[in-house]
Amino acid sequence: MPDLSLEAVRVSFPGLAAPALDIPALHVAAGTRLAVTGPSGAGKTTLINLIVGLTRPDSGRIAWGETDLASLGEGRRDRFRAAHVGLVMQNFHLFAGLSALDNVLLPARFWSLRLDPALKARALALLERVGVRRPRQKVETLSRGEMQRVAVARAVLMRPDVLVADEPTASLDAEAGDAVAGLLCALAREQHATLIVVTHDARLVARMARHLTLVDGRIVADVPVARADGAAEAAQ
Amino acid sequence: MIPLGFILADLRRLWLGALAIVLLIALATALGMAVQLQERALRLGSARAADRFDIVVGAAGSETQLVLSAVFLQAAPLPLMDGSVLKALAEDPRVAYAAPVGFGDSFEGQPIVGTIAAFAREAGGGALSEGQVFDALDEAVVGARVPLALGGVIKPMHGLPGEGGHTHSEIAYRVVGRMAPTGTPWDRAILVPIEAVWRLHGMGDAHAWPRRVEGEAEHAHGLGGDSDHLGSPWPQATPGVPAVIVKARTIADAYRLRAQYRKPPTLAVFPAEVLVRLYGTLGDARLLLGGIALGAQALVIVAVMLVSAVHLAQRRAQIAALRALGAPRRAIFALVWSEVMALVGAGAMLGAGLGFLAARMVATQLTRQSGIVLPVEFAPEDLVFLALLLGVAALAAMVPAVMAYRQPATIGLSA
Ligand SMILES: Nc1ncnc2c1ncn2[C@@H]1O[C@H](COP(=O)(O)OP(=O)(O)OP(=O)(O)O)[C@@H](O)[C@H]1O
Ligand SMILES: [Mg+2]
Repeated sequence: MPDLSLEAVRVSFPGLAAPALDIPALHVAAGTRLAVTGPSGAGKTTLINLIVGLTRPDSGRIAWGETDLASLGEGRRDRFRAAHVGLVMQNFHLFAGLSALDNVLLPARFWSLRLDPALKARALALLERVGVRRPRQKVETLSRGEMQRVAVARAVLMRPDVLVADEPTASLDAEAGDAVAGLLCALAREQHATLIVVTHDARLVARMARHLTLVDGRIVADVPVARADGAAEAAQ
Repeated sequence: MIPLGFILADLRRLWLGALAIVLLIALATALGMAVQLQERALRLGSARAADRFDIVVGAAGSETQLVLSAVFLQAAPLPLMDGSVLKALAEDPRVAYAAPVGFGDSFEGQPIVGTIAAFAREAGGGALSEGQVFDALDEAVVGARVPLALGGVIKPMHGLPGEGGHTHSEIAYRVVGRMAPTGTPWDRAILVPIEAVWRLHGMGDAHAWPRRVEGEAEHAHGLGGDSDHLGSPWPQATPGVPAVIVKARTIADAYRLRAQYRKPPTLAVFPAEVLVRLYGTLGDARLLLGGIALGAQALVIVAVMLVSAVHLAQRRAQIAALRALGAPRRAIFALVWSEVMALVGAGAMLGAGLGFLAARMVATQLTRQSGIVLPVEFAPEDLVFLALLLGVAALAAMVPAVMAYRQPATIGLSA
């Protein structure tokens, strides 16, 4: 499970005077639970796109261990992402018409024609683990909280080294959000995965170990999360 | 790899649009298919019908009309040719048989054709399917599809089918035989001795026609008895006939006979030759129809590509999400391409079926009207047509597929 380190990373978009992201250096040790916060437009999603290899920076290094994503072509980054990254997005991005189970298995299906039975068993176990009782239910008939739980199960199916979530609780009510936040932390710990979460949700931040604040594409604060609410942590 | 379940779910979700595209393609394909199948059926059917007739000799005039009337029994008055031509042909050593065809009467919409007994056998492929050939003036052999049983009575109506007119009360034919099916208009014809037609219309030794006494049955056997014989050798003063169908002994003879009778006052044609010329004219119409069908298909394919491109724009988020979840770009390409091709393929198959059914329906209708059996069947050519269609679609489907392939994938897109 490799560390993540960014060096001299810059991203600019045409039409923007200042770079959308400008990070001289950032190191995230493997297994860290990292919260990224900041005002809208601060560059949080831009950062996530970089570290999962969806986009490349204009300059700089984005290294997972020895692998520098900034130097890999699109195909290699696709393969890296499939092998190492689990992603949870604000709007779930589940696929209507497929069952909860098939949604969880979808990423695997893109890479092999025949599905490993062990993988299916794992998907079922994960769905049970996240509390989705009927794995064959069509995903569009689930509640929003259940949908995000399916998305979490999908994200960890391939045993990713890093779990990345962009606003995973933003479109859920407090209770469902809490459940999803708890699951993310617990699963990251169980799977020994690094967890990187972009969020505005203070309760989710409180579950993290480290808290990064971005403003205008720059890191303005990088602090350990106060153990004041360590009780909440322990309560899980 | 593209998960099949995902494609199916996608198409099911978008079923209305998918159905519209499938139907659109099916209709365009059916149009082209029907034109192609129908044209081939017409060509085959008429060629088979003309096949049985070596040479048709008639009075100088329109070759096409001669073939249409004598071979396809299309009702139209032909000029009469002097009877000596029939006699000369019948006695020509190069001729296997020379069968006169005389029109003029009909029975319940079916043409009554005066000819010789040998032709009643030969036109049906050498043997009757039932009964025997006519041997008396009041006997008739019916075509395979004439709805009359052996022993049935035919009261000829003056005039060609559809013309109407008075019923001849002088004679009633009795059905004594049935021709084997030929798949030609002759299946609907009633064949009677040419002598009967002559007499009925006051030609030749009309005086020999016995007047009917009161009542019905008495004419039946007396008629043939008083005339010496039927068919060749023909008398010196053979009445005129509109056409003679000639079977030559050898191919060389056929060419020689045609050359000899080509000069006015007669006309000699190989029916196949005239048909080829007719196809030439038909071919232009077919080209036009085929062009229209092709144009329709091209338009449909363009429309499908436009629709999929627009649709793709609405799916950017879905595709970006798939990429974010680890789907490789080639999978995205394959996904979009397969979905378009699944629709086009389904449409093409459905269209081929619909086109076949349509051609069959038209052919059945034409057979009912003309008696010509039109064989609607698929040929390798049709596979080429379908393959071409799918090939073009496969290329066109690359457009949205490439668009999807090149679409940048970022989480920010998700909305
Ligand atoms: N493809 C793009 N083209 C141009 N500008 C972009 C693009 N993507 C992001 N930006 C700009 O970069 C900046 C950072 O965007 P980003 O999406 O990373 O913000 P964010 O922190 O995720 O905001 P939010 O909390 O609203 O999601 C914004 O000003 C945004 O407008
Ligand atoms: Mg964002």
